[in-house]
Amino acid sequence: MSTPTVDYANVPLPEVRVMTHRLLSAETTEKILNDIDVIHNLRQINMSGESLPRTINSGPAKGLANNHTERKVIHVNGHEVELHCLVGAFYIELSVTDEAEMDKTVDEIKAAFDRTIPDGYTIDVGRYSKYRPSLHDYRSA
Amino acid sequence: MAKYKRQFFPGTTTPAKNRRRYLDPKVKLKQLRDVPMDDVVRIMGHRAPGEAYKSIHPPITEANEPACPIRKLVTPIEGAAAGDRVRYIQFADSVYFAPISPYQRAWMYLSRYRGVDTGTLSGRQIIEMRERNLEQVAKELIDNETFDPALTGIRGATVHGHSCRLDEHGLMFDGWQRYLWDDKKKEVMYVKDQVALPLDKKIYVGKPASMSDLKKRTTIFRADGVDMRDDKEVTDFYLRIHTLRTLGGYRPFDVKGE
Repeated sequence: MSTPTVDYANVPLPEVRVMTHRLLSAETTEKILNDIDVIHNLRQINMSGESLPRTINSGPAKGLANNHTERKVIHVNGHEVELHCLVGAFYIELSVTDEAEMDKTVDEIKAAFDRTIPDGYTIDVGRYSKYRPSLHDYRSA
Repeated sequence: MAKYKRQFFPGTTTPAKNRRRYLDPKVKLKQLRDVPMDDVVRIMGHRAPGEAYKSIHPPITEANEPACPIRKLVTPIEGAAAGDRVRYIQFADSVYFAPISPYQRAWMYLSRYRGVDTGTLSGRQIIEMRERNLEQVAKELIDNETFDPALTGIRGATVHGHSCRLDEHGLMFDGWQRYLWDDKKKEVMYVKDQVALPLDKKIYVGKPASMSDLKKRTTIFRADGVDMRDDKEVTDFYLRIHTLRTLGGYRPFDVKGE
């Protein structure tokens, strides 16, 4: 196995998973991202949700622009982020060294979501995405 | 011998009662809105409003029908008599307490209408019919209490969304966004037809019902609404069907006295 390219690879850092009770509009997604972006000790934020195609992908209208109002570019801390889906889940990886620091960061994330998401959400701390290669990554095509 | 009385669905809970109401053709369903017929035609997208019906065969009266006792017995529906094309409308129903769900739609269509071909899938229900009859049925189904603007979608293709979380306005997810929320009027409006071709005008289909109202109207048993296990008669009914189907498939000689 080759050596990892970065020193934090292969380290199972804790991850916060937030599932919102409603699928969020682009405006709310922008608001919540700007709200949690200022929190320290976050290494990366991944989002997922229901896909919004750029064009109509089947049927008689195939190829026409979809013009979905929520498929647009949002601005997070000065960066442009192009949304491809109606967001319903956040996976936030924490770069923390001990439990106290983790709890403090999770509390800050909770406070941000409480402020911005009126319809409610569920929050879990664990590890929900891969952090090291497994057998699956070595299978031949 | 006692006269046979048609039965529809067992149970004493609200969803069971609603199922009986929707299935019984003698019950007239409440009309909650009045979407103009031309707009219904626009949403379906099979013909332009005012355009003549295209036909696939000459009117039955002009055709040389073979002598057949069944043909004599069955009166053709209007569209079949005129030789209309067979067209469709498809509804997707959200799992979040939509007024009706696809399976009951199939039961209801077959119980209430003639000349129908219907197909059930997990989240959607297609109805195929001769064009002019379909338009009348479609208007009835959009206007009456089985339709909710937020939780029922008119979707000919790419229906994904019935089991997704609702959006911030309480609308069922639609990747093609055929309908939008009008925040000023607090109503749902269609901006694309059922296969997502843009419409020339916005078509308003009314205000969505409240969740408490929908819970009273729905046919859906849900753990966070009325659990099917709380209705003993319904549970027994399904257990009996399950047992008989399993035995019928694997140990038919054990089915005795049923």
